Amino acid sequence: MHLSNSLELFPEFVVTQLLFKDVKNCAELRKMAMEGKIAGALINPSVVLDPFQTLLAANKAVHVQKIGKMKTRSLYSEIIFNLSPTNNISEAFKRFGVSDSDNAVLIVLVHNKEEAYNKDDVLSKVDGQQIPADQMSTLSDLAKIKKLYKVAPQEEKCGNVLDAVICRMAAKDFV
Amino acid sequence: MAEADGGSARSVLPYLCEAELIKQGAEARVYRIRFLGKNAIVKERFPKRYRHPVLDEKLTRRRTAQEVRSILRCRKAGIAAPVVYFVDLGSNCIFLEEITDSITVREHVAAAQASGQSVESMHPLAEKMGRILAKMHDEDVIHGDLTTSNMLLKPDRSGDLELLLIDFGLSFVSALAEDKGVDLYVLEKAFLSTHPNTETLFQKLLQSYTAASKKAPAVIKKLDEVRLRGRKRSMVG
Repeated sequence: MHLSNSLELFPEFVVTQLLFKDVKNCAELRKMAMEGKIAGALINPSVVLDPFQTLLAANKAVHVQKIGKMKTRSLYSEIIFNLSPTNNISEAFKRFGVSDSDNAVLIVLVHNKEEAYNKDDVLSKVDGQQIPADQMSTLSDLAKIKKLYKVAPQEEKCGNVLDAVICRMAAKDFV
Repeated sequence: MAEADGGSARSVLPYLCEAELIKQGAEARVYRIRFLGKNAIVKERFPKRYRHPVLDEKLTRRRTAQEVRSILRCRKAGIAAPVVYFVDLGSNCIFLEEITDSITVREHVAAAQASGQSVESMHPLAEKMGRILAKMHDEDVIHGDLTTSNMLLKPDRSGDLELLLIDFGLSFVSALAEDKGVDLYVLEKAFLSTHPNTETLFQKLLQSYTAASKKAPAVIKKLDEVRLRGRKRSMVG
């Protein structure tokens, strides 16, 4: 169900992604995350196209944490911030973080290789149905993604929308 | 002394120690690695010890940033260039998509010439190059190092050859016809010196460049000036 990837650049860490639909307690989950009771990033899956997109955001979050250049307060908020094409933090949370009215959530966890993440702990908190994380694209809203990342039709001539999204995430420190 | 030039030593970065080094230039080393489940290319701009450390860091950082910016600018305009996955500004490494099943334009032209194909058979390729460079210059991206080795050909889904631009390491943004003219001049020099007897091919390229861009006449005029005086402007008088 879940998807776990190790980070080549930071071999001690593993990123695990869990995807849920028909979630009834997003407001509660969001509150728990803000209080630090869930050690994970709660992401709105409609703005994510592929697990690779969130994996890149997590990789970058670990990277900036290591070099002491985080823009937000925690590793998990940094993952959400990294998904955004702009450097506006509150806007990033609003668009890419889960909202109270959402009915689906993508949870991204970063944990040590040795310690398995506390799966039951996360599963017990979510009131919803877990679906395979690689089915992420079934929940994504392509039109919304194109608008958020400002992907023009001409750009799709030289690659897909995921490519366009990834490039913006990687380049946002330079524009 | 071997490490004093910073060029011959392998990377000190742990994730690049084991990586396959595929190219070593004066400016950077290029590696092939696995990155988050994909095949990727890492371009590492290593420190140059012959430069003052502060200046070196500044130049290296600026070129890394500019490379990423130019790639994004080109892609936004529909010009194919490798996807940027991740940038490590601490070590000035750019992680890029690996372009598989591609050959350089240089290899393509050399192979075509070796097999006795006529220059005319390569006219469509020259026209495609002209069109894409015109589009790039219309976006005010100056590549800075146009050669036939920095252009890749890759079959796309429909079987046509897609032309990709790579290595934006010396690129910058400028609207000046002068800069665009010099960009074409650099390509002309590189083109004609690597591929003998291809003057008509480069002519075709310029014709299609002119047809594709409204701003082309000013650029071609500058190119003619640059041909007479060389790449560097005379600062006399």
